[in-house]
Amino acid sequence: MKPEDLLQQLTSNPTQKCTLGCPILDRVLAGGIPCNSITELVAESGCGKTQISLQLLLSAQLPASLGGLNASSLYLFSESPFPLRRLHQLSSSFPTLHNPSDKILTHPLHSAHHLFDVLSQLDSLLLSRQLTSSPPIKLIVIDSIAALFRYEFENNARDLKQRSGLFFKISSKLKEQARRFGLAVVVINQVVDVMDDSDGLRIGNSACLYTSERKVSAALGLSWANCVNTRLFLSRNEERVAQEVGDDCFTTQTRSYYCYIRNKVAKRFKNRTYKGTSCRNKDPIEYAGWT
Amino acid sequence: MEVSSLPISASQRAKLISAGYTTLSSLFSVSHSDIARDLEISENEALEILRLASQRRGSERSDGTSSIVNGAQSAWEMLNEEESLGRITTSCSELDDILGGGISCKEVTEIGGVPGIGKTQLGIQLAVNVQIPMDYGGLQGKAIYIDTEGSFMVERVLQIAEACFEDMRGYHGFLKRDLQTCQLNMQPKDFLENIIYFRVCSYTEQIAVVNYLEKFISEHKDVKVVIIDSITFHFRQDFDDMALRTRLLGGMALKLMKLAKKFTLAVVLLNQVTTKYTEGQYQLTLALGDSWSHSCTNRVILYWNGNERYAYIDKSPSVRSAAAPYAVTGRGIRSSVSNCKRVKMM
Repeated sequence: MKPEDLLQQLTSNPTQKCTLGCPILDRVLAGGIPCNSITELVAESGCGKTQISLQLLLSAQLPASLGGLNASSLYLFSESPFPLRRLHQLSSSFPTLHNPSDKILTHPLHSAHHLFDVLSQLDSLLLSRQLTSSPPIKLIVIDSIAALFRYEFENNARDLKQRSGLFFKISSKLKEQARRFGLAVVVINQVVDVMDDSDGLRIGNSACLYTSERKVSAALGLSWANCVNTRLFLSRNEERVAQEVGDDCFTTQTRSYYCYIRNKVAKRFKNRTYKGTSCRNKDPIEYAGWT
Repeated sequence: MEVSSLPISASQRAKLISAGYTTLSSLFSVSHSDIARDLEISENEALEILRLASQRRGSERSDGTSSIVNGAQSAWEMLNEEESLGRITTSCSELDDILGGGISCKEVTEIGGVPGIGKTQLGIQLAVNVQIPMDYGGLQGKAIYIDTEGSFMVERVLQIAEACFEDMRGYHGFLKRDLQTCQLNMQPKDFLENIIYFRVCSYTEQIAVVNYLEKFISEHKDVKVVIIDSITFHFRQDFDDMALRTRLLGGMALKLMKLAKKFTLAVVLLNQVTTKYTEGQYQLTLALGDSWSHSCTNRVILYWNGNERYAYIDKSPSVRSAAAPYAVTGRGIRSSVSNCKRVKMM
């Protein structure tokens, strides 16, 4: 058992990042989606989660000088069919890539348990790609984790316990693989509406998240929130699209994004501070009473 | 112990034995007048026998007990020792205040909170702050960081270390006249060298590392803090045998507590929160259950209060329950009071 040399890691092997294709997003993420950890994209439907995922599959193939990982990627999808035509369209905006589809592996997912089985069998594939001359897999996209979990489990104690156990199993496996093979893991999550007026359970840096003027929170709840390293929230706000961000910024998207970033790694923002209204009179013991 | 070992005359000894007083302890349950009557001797003689007997027992006890509880300390000695022990600052003065000066050595401190509240940030901050040189009021020690979740990022550690370094240099400026004695011979990158980082990917590995720590630390005596981020992650997946989980966690807690005592270091365990169903409603509580909550000396809960982060002392044998605001900034953990304006993104 040997500890790692952090200094050497910093100088000779800094964390690789995969570009999102948008300089603003890349800046807030300090270069893009980081390797060796799990990044979650949370957004309502129609925000372009799948678009970003597909583009990531292509950007991962770019050389490091262009912000890519110079690697193949694996796309695990639960919502069939695989958007092949869109991928082709997107690949035309990556003229430097030669036969980009060759370096994208895909696999459908039927259920949460199936996902775990697929991940368990993945080790040999990842290893063989690393050993042979073909470019290694450096990016795994799971689109979407929410779809797998939202419908399969009943809302009773036994199923919920099983569900959160499976969250941690899948997350642990992904993190192990991310570390062992230097993978960037991207999981797509959906949102749920927050119904009551209370803020509910606050996870992350923004008190509440708004998309299309609805108050939402990430699906899959508290347990899953423990399982990801970085959470990226994408929202839609049709009115302010054009004035905030130009079209050229996100090359393949005409829509723009407001990103609220909740980052456990939180290294990103030099001037990021949190200070709100002072509520110091509130009894801190209320914590235990949050529902 | 036999009465035969008492330095008394042979006739008195014989009388004692024939009267049934064969052991020393049997002498202490009776008064000297009883002995005088039973042995048909004067009360003065009986008193002398009792005096000798209690003397003998007294000497026996002081020898015997010291071998049983070797290293026992009086509370006075412990107080003196505790006052001489340093504490690890959190870089947030309000948080330090409610903790009684910082994270204390020789104790296990558990810190828990919702995702994104800054547990890992606090962990990294402590790993950096433990290295502050003695001249600057620090412990000048090394840190062991056991990462179970993969949220530890070297780039972020360097950022926090640079900020800490700058703060120390600022402090250095105040001490200009002591410039000769108080050279700051540290660089931000040195901080990284003094963080001993283990990444564990399963609960078996986690247990193995904890078991290995004793040997490791006995070879690296300058380790002053052990941080496990988080203690929970690998124990929340698929443990059907909850009794086994409780045993493994309990065993680990005991080992860590022993380490803290033996090597005078602080153990900081980061924990997640979960919901607990009681009396018809769900409540937030730290993970791993009730039996685990006994395993730590101190318990600190991090939570949101409006838009501010707060830390709350949930359990501590030495300081009162209190809450204090803190902030996570680009420079690390800081006082939230000094950060008056909230920087808006985009």
